[in-house]
Amino acid sequence: MTLNTTAETETAKIARGLRERDMELLADLVERCQHRLVRYLLYLIGRRDYAEDLAQETWIRVLQRGSQYNGRQRFDPWLFAIARNLAIDYLRKKQKGVQTACLPNDRDAVLLLPSSGPSPFEAAARSEDAIRLAGQLQILPPLYREALLLRFQEDLSLAEIAQVLGTPVTTVTSRIYRGLAALRSAFEEGGDSPGV
Amino acid sequence: MIRLECDKRFRELIDRSFVGEVSESERRVMHDHIRDCDGCKRYVELTARTIRGLREFTFTREPDSSAQVREILAHHTGLVRQHNLPFKIWAAFAAALSMSFVGSALVYQVAKLLAVPMHFDTAQVQAGVLVFWLLPSFCSALCLLTARGENRGIA
Repeated sequence: MTLNTTAETETAKIARGLRERDMELLADLVERCQHRLVRYLLYLIGRRDYAEDLAQETWIRVLQRGSQYNGRQRFDPWLFAIARNLAIDYLRKKQKGVQTACLPNDRDAVLLLPSSGPSPFEAAARSEDAIRLAGQLQILPPLYREALLLRFQEDLSLAEIAQVLGTPVTTVTSRIYRGLAALRSAFEEGGDSPGV
Repeated sequence: MIRLECDKRFRELIDRSFVGEVSESERRVMHDHIRDCDGCKRYVELTARTIRGLREFTFTREPDSSAQVREILAHHTGLVRQHNLPFKIWAAFAAALSMSFVGSALVYQVAKLLAVPMHFDTAQVQAGVLVFWLLPSFCSALCLLTARGENRGIA
């Protein structure tokens, strides 16, 4: 109960600060969320330079449309939803430059931009298991990959992921299960089958 | 040998437990089953390993990233405020103008009542209200538009 009250106070404070364009509060939010925001965008689009640019664009949107944040939900999912919409718009503009074979069926899906260097997952993998998963994540359908990363990297709840993706919670859970099933194969192929 | 239908039902439950969707009673049933089922035990281990692997991606922090964003935001805050200022000035002018006309109308009604015992005619009352009330208040409203920056008293 105390935690809830604290969380409400915190989000209400953020909502008020955004309405008033409080620079101190914005600087604090940037300090707290910038790292996660760039990470999320990097995993969505696969290019660090574009991720940094889109993160800056996201913060400008937060400044311009801060009054739309109602303070009833946590700030992070709202921020990620803005970033995601910007990434989708950006990728749609870039769509002509991307091979059509890579395009997902879902019009809202976000895909990795082709890059000459290692994928963001390969660059960020710090353990043997993570390295094995990096290859699978690269080829995983974008909608599954995104749901998995929001749940297990960003630690968002299912309802918060649904808010970011603009889909029902049931769709989110189903994407997570399918994504997990696809990733488990990284270990099964290495002789670690669950023995069905 | 693990029966397929047993697998499917329990493996759905295991998936749900990792996403945080099972009740306490379902969790007990699941644990009871896993204790006796090697296939499901392995499935739990692999799922846990997959999730642990997902958490082991460590993205390096760009040291200047937050500072750059703060700088850009400071610049944009100034632009947004400048963009909003003309609207605020015109809104304040409109409010001052309305108050000027409403106030003048009220003063005119009071002046008409006072004019009778003081033997003023209607034209004199109208001229008095125009010169001593309507024009000064209208000029004050105009000052809002001509004043510079902070002298307007509008943030």
